[in-house]
Amino acid sequence: MSGALKVELGRRYRFAASHRLHTARLSEQANSRIFGKCNNPYGHGHNYVVEVSVSGEIDPATGMIANLADLDAFVEREVIEPFDHKSLNEDVRAFRDKVPTTENLCIEIFERLRKFPKAKLERIRVEETGKNSFEYGGNNVTGDREAVNLEGKRM
Amino acid sequence: MILLTRKIEFSASHLYHNPELSPEENRRIFGKCNNPHGHGHNYTLEVTVAGEPDPVTGMVLDLKELKEILEREVMQRMDHRFLNYEVSELSGMIPTCENIARVIWQLLEPKITHGQLHRVRLYETPDLFADCYRNGAEGVKAK
Repeated sequence: MSGALKVELGRRYRFAASHRLHTARLSEQANSRIFGKCNNPYGHGHNYVVEVSVSGEIDPATGMIANLADLDAFVEREVIEPFDHKSLNEDVRAFRDKVPTTENLCIEIFERLRKFPKAKLERIRVEETGKNSFEYGGNNVTGDREAVNLEGKRM
Repeated sequence: MILLTRKIEFSASHLYHNPELSPEENRRIFGKCNNPHGHGHNYTLEVTVAGEPDPVTGMVLDLKELKEILEREVMQRMDHRFLNYEVSELSGMIPTCENIARVIWQLLEPKITHGQLHRVRLYETPDLFADCYRNGAEGVKAK
């Protein structure tokens, strides 16, 4: 057997928000073709599920990688409070010039949560609906952002 | 390489308490998980085994065999038990999801002789789980 034993803690959170997939870099026709009904002018919403995975040593005194109360409070402050019942396009600065696809949302949430001081953030998984989910573990951040911006349509 | 996952459920009680800490510290750190008489969960365990399908049977391992290992090593030890007092492998440990997942890994790994134990995921509730795996195992980080 190779490799040390590693344990991660996973926690699921929920928020509801609206978005519209649209970019000013493309024509109206191209936006409509690429993004389909996600390009409808007034936007639409989802119940998002955010799965946060952190790793670290298990503290022998507490049995924990990180105290859930600390993780919950951090996620509440950094993600739930600013995103819940908001318009991602209008209310979240990062999406003023970036399409709020769930790929980009994964990256934005990862960037916000990587500052969690009590454990190492391993990855973020976001469920846009029960059928679509996206994962991001922090690789090639700058490259991904550009690539994700112009990616195909999302239903 | 194929990953094969089997899921089982068990129900157990536990409480979080470290006798080396004061009652106030226990309360502050563990909150209601420190309630003295304990509380319970329906745990869901997902056990993933990695391997190549046998050319004759088409199987990584016989699911029946995996089912029996899980019954013997996990169900009989933990189902309808008080984890703090009745599971010797957890004695002296706070029975958090992280620690239980690691103990289950340690119980299962030597028993799985066809294929290799790849990941243990233990859900304490649908919104809280722990993953245990060997560092560098493929297919966990990059799905």
